[in-house]
Amino acid sequence: MIRQIVKRDGRTVPFDEKKIADAIFKAAKVLGGDNYEMAQDLAHQVVLYLEQQYGEVEPTVEQVQDAVEHTLIENGHSRTAKEYILYRAQRTRVREMNTKLMKIYEDLTFQDAEDNDVKRENANIDGDTPMGTMLKYGSEGAKQFCEMYILDPAYSKAHIDGDIHIHDMDFYTLTTTCCQIDIEKLFRGGFSTGHGFLREPNDIQSYAALGCIAIQSNQNDQHGGQSIPNFDYGMAHGVVKTFRKLYRKNLAKACELLCGMENAEETIKGMMNAIQEETGLYPILADDNGYREEEAKRLGEMMDPALAEHCQQFAHKSAAQETDRSTFQAMEALVHNLNTMHSRAGAQVPFSSINYGTDTSPEGRMVIKNILLATEAGLGNGETAIFPIHIFKVKEGINYNEGEPNYDLFKLACRVSAKRLFPNFSFLDAPFNLQYYKPGDPNTEVAYMGCRTRVMANVHDPSRETTFGRGNLSFTSVNLPRLAIKANHDVDLFFEMLDHEIDLVIDQLMARFRLQASKKVRNYPFLMGQGVWLDSDKLSPDDEVGEVLKHGTLTMGFIGLAECLKALTGYHHGESAESQKLGLEIIGYMRKRMDEESQKTGFNYSLIATPAEGLSGRFVRIDKKRYGIIPGVTDREYYTNSFHIPVYYEINAFDKIRLEAPYHALTNGGHITYVELDGDPSKNLEAFEAVVRCMKEAGVGYGSVNHPVDRDPVCGYTGIIDDVCPRCGRREGEGVSVAHLKRIGAYKNYNADTIGYHGDPHEEADRIPNKV
Amino acid sequence: MQTTQYNEEEIMIGEGVGFERIRRITGYLVGTLDRFNNAKRAEERDRVKHSVTSPMERI
Repeated sequence: MIRQIVKRDGRTVPFDEKKIADAIFKAAKVLGGDNYEMAQDLAHQVVLYLEQQYGEVEPTVEQVQDAVEHTLIENGHSRTAKEYILYRAQRTRVREMNTKLMKIYEDLTFQDAEDNDVKRENANIDGDTPMGTMLKYGSEGAKQFCEMYILDPAYSKAHIDGDIHIHDMDFYTLTTTCCQIDIEKLFRGGFSTGHGFLREPNDIQSYAALGCIAIQSNQNDQHGGQSIPNFDYGMAHGVVKTFRKLYRKNLAKACELLCGMENAEETIKGMMNAIQEETGLYPILADDNGYREEEAKRLGEMMDPALAEHCQQFAHKSAAQETDRSTFQAMEALVHNLNTMHSRAGAQVPFSSINYGTDTSPEGRMVIKNILLATEAGLGNGETAIFPIHIFKVKEGINYNEGEPNYDLFKLACRVSAKRLFPNFSFLDAPFNLQYYKPGDPNTEVAYMGCRTRVMANVHDPSRETTFGRGNLSFTSVNLPRLAIKANHDVDLFFEMLDHEIDLVIDQLMARFRLQASKKVRNYPFLMGQGVWLDSDKLSPDDEVGEVLKHGTLTMGFIGLAECLKALTGYHHGESAESQKLGLEIIGYMRKRMDEESQKTGFNYSLIATPAEGLSGRFVRIDKKRYGIIPGVTDREYYTNSFHIPVYYEINAFDKIRLEAPYHALTNGGHITYVELDGDPSKNLEAFEAVVRCMKEAGVGYGSVNHPVDRDPVCGYTGIIDDVCPRCGRREGEGVSVAHLKRIGAYKNYNADTIGYHGDPHEEADRIPNKV
Repeated sequence: MQTTQYNEEEIMIGEGVGFERIRRITGYLVGTLDRFNNAKRAEERDRVKHSVTSPMERI
């Protein structure tokens, strides 16, 4: 007589025959059965069988379930047995998932980030804070849920096995990746972020503040980066308005002081309004629109014309200086804000990027100059700002050659980048970017996301081949090294397997799109509700967003081309021309498949050189377990990023650029090339610039120069520090005396005129340009 | 009237303070390698420098 049963966790609980009857009945019902009596009868038979098998020993849950299956089959209920078995397998999966998830939660809770790789999956989040950990709880739970219940088992399996990687699975059911936010359009007429209306800004400081708000608000609706493609053009309007205001103020003061004008402010204001109404003119930096002459006429009626001219000159000069100062402060505040407001899921700052460099108006130039100078100055203690990612758009005819209108800003960009690692450089002359370019139309200038994502062509609507208001919808990466390992040097087989993998990825991208498409405008209060996404302003709150989402890209990515080539041929593409040829064939083929699918379906399929942070280790970990250690392939803890030459391979900067450039043309969904420079490029700007120019000439689309940037928080020195700080002489962890700091002029005096290094007046004098 | 002078030669600042090492990871900057995941740490260790002298200049 069975009285007790042993549960999986070892507890014994009273045995209940009714539970068996219920389970059998449930399984039978799936097939249309409804005979509970038969279920009871079978349950009784199960009990008899158990007593026969185990006598007085208490059976385990597993043993009971085995007995049920046995009994059902013995009695000719094989289909019911099958249903029961499936149900049991499902329960097992759920249980294992709970266990795995709970283990992850346990580690998140009790381990420091130092010991927990999962907590450090994203370097931008402090995994040790409450919000950082909460974000991880949510993220891991969502991923598991998606793997278990949302994904088609084929995709789920491919992802778990490591054939593909579905990025941002935690947000699978929720949203899309990223967007380029057109701030000219957004600010015009003002906008709302949920509560309360933000009027169109009237001052450069407000423009900058609203820029941050726009990025933060949009970041709440998407999981990926937020970028402004027209930063200079957009902010320039703020400069125009600020200049106007400051001109008016200064003119009024001058007139009052020099000419004794009564009620100067009112009078001048009235005059300026009248001029605007009658002629449409107002004061601008360039001072070449006829305003000054018109104003001179009217002022001349109120005072001595010579004095009037004097006042005008004073007003213009003062306003220009003050506007410049105000713009600098606005840019400084923007940089500070984007580095300190943890407004992405409460745990990190938004992934923000800004594109600029091509606005040649005086106002646009003032914006560019000041955002660069603010970046150069750094944060409160002169620290290097981490966000936003700056992308300087290089364009021949605008800023690339001496004599071109913004060439000085290109030089400044190089100087700042050599110190602060930003800006990165995008190249509008790369043939694949140039084809869209129309001078004077910022919307035809390709803008990148800081991470490298690029959206320009538009198969869904060829009349809207633009950057503004578009972005990536989702991306999934292919494990190239694994395919190569499996192909075992057979290149034809490799391509065959790659082809199948691409089929899978295409289907999975579309399946994810279907989920994203069924969302409504009100699921994206800012991105869609405020019309940031292209054409979303044509929708109402309860409309589905699928149609307008088609402007976005469905993107396939890849990792480890170098290791893939090594596995196939014995050499990566840095060391062999043959491998380089094969590499281009492989990536070319992937691109071809994306283009074909786009043509076939009208969707924007594209190919990206995957950024890969968490992914860099994931695939190789699985492959190492599966295939063992293969030299040059799985013998490191990471796979080389996308099409890059391996970081450990000794190669000249210019050769690296030339080898990687052709892949930029193939990866229309996004790409980047890095160069690692030795030493402090601030002391060798010519070499730095040579690298950037090589990128431009080689046809690179987006490039970045890396060099070590170290900083001693005590004396503020920023540059290269090996073991000893070059400024104050201390070693890591050592103290240095206040007297010594004072002697070298590095003791905290926060002198506003010497921003950056606790007021070190000697720093500038140290800079010596080196010859290449 | 003697004011007590702090001996500024003896007051030390910065004990226990390390250097900040800003590095780029997957395109964005991080102020400390502590936050890198294991794979990216390994990659950062492997990174070599790319020389900017072109071969022709070596005489």
